[in-house]
Amino acid sequence: MTWYTMMPYHLMFPEEGNDQTAQNVILYNNIPVLVERTGDETKIVQIMSTDPFHYLREDCQPGMTLRNL
Amino acid sequence: MDQTPETETPSNPEAPKKQDENTSGLIQKIQSLGQTNVPQMEGSSIHCLTIVGQIEGHMQLPPNNKATKYEHLIPQLVAIEQNPKIEGLLVILNTVGGDVEAGLAISEMIASLSKPSVSLVLGGGHSIGVPIAVSAHYSFIVPTATMTIHPVRLTGLVIGVPQTFEYLDKMQERVISFVTSHSEISEERFKELMFSKGNLTRDIGTNVIGTDAVKDGLINEVGGVGQALQKLNELIEKQNTKENNGLKQ
Repeated sequence: MTWYTMMPYHLMFPEEGNDQTAQNVILYNNIPVLVERTGDETKIVQIMSTDPFHYLREDCQPGMTLRNL
Repeated sequence: MDQTPETETPSNPEAPKKQDENTSGLIQKIQSLGQTNVPQMEGSSIHCLTIVGQIEGHMQLPPNNKATKYEHLIPQLVAIEQNPKIEGLLVILNTVGGDVEAGLAISEMIASLSKPSVSLVLGGGHSIGVPIAVSAHYSFIVPTATMTIHPVRLTGLVIGVPQTFEYLDKMQERVISFVTSHSEISEERFKELMFSKGNLTRDIGTNVIGTDAVKDGLINEVGGVGQALQKLNELIEKQNTKENNGLKQ
């Protein structure tokens, strides 16, 4: 494992415990989106598509909460 | 994959409001266009890959890091290569670096694409971002962006044996040979930048700013998104005429 980065090690790996929220990639209307599930909410974190037009769609923007899947 | 959320009953208080908006939007569409489905713009023929934060490789980073995961990027690159509707790729970089092998893997994938690619460095394209920036067929950097070139070093546990140094040296050699073979910079100049003292306060190496990166031959041209897309369209046209000529023969 070799890092070639500007970021100091202690910033990349902080001491305190991290509670990782579950993130996964799902297809929303054929657009791959990274979602975060907290409790019964599913929030769009990031659009994973390489098609720039997918980023202009109003129905799928980062930060939006999808109705529970 | 997952079922569409439309068919589900809303369970959070925000959802009914959203649905109301949706229905009124739908009515508006019917009133203004006489149809429910507004013809969508065809997908873009130029796809865009954004490489931000850390480049994550063999090890998952803690969630406080903003990371680009190579297991996400590599299938996207395969899809770009395969999809006949996609004609070109724009790679946008603003990265602090990351895993050497993941970075080199992405660089090799971009370099071996049969479709034209153009990279644009915004903000920063540091460390392992350098080989990714030069891997495209043509590269741009905005005047304010910087690229830090420094030696590969181990963080964490270092075993004080000569083999550790040799291992790192080989790793570094892979980065140097990739960069020198995919850009105009000479090996001597790149190593000079990499090992120079006094430029970085706590490290050896050099912080190369926009225009200097072009002067050294690392990047092809100073410019922004407009120039990058213009160049990409130019390359696509060149590729298309080449293919058409090939068909005629």
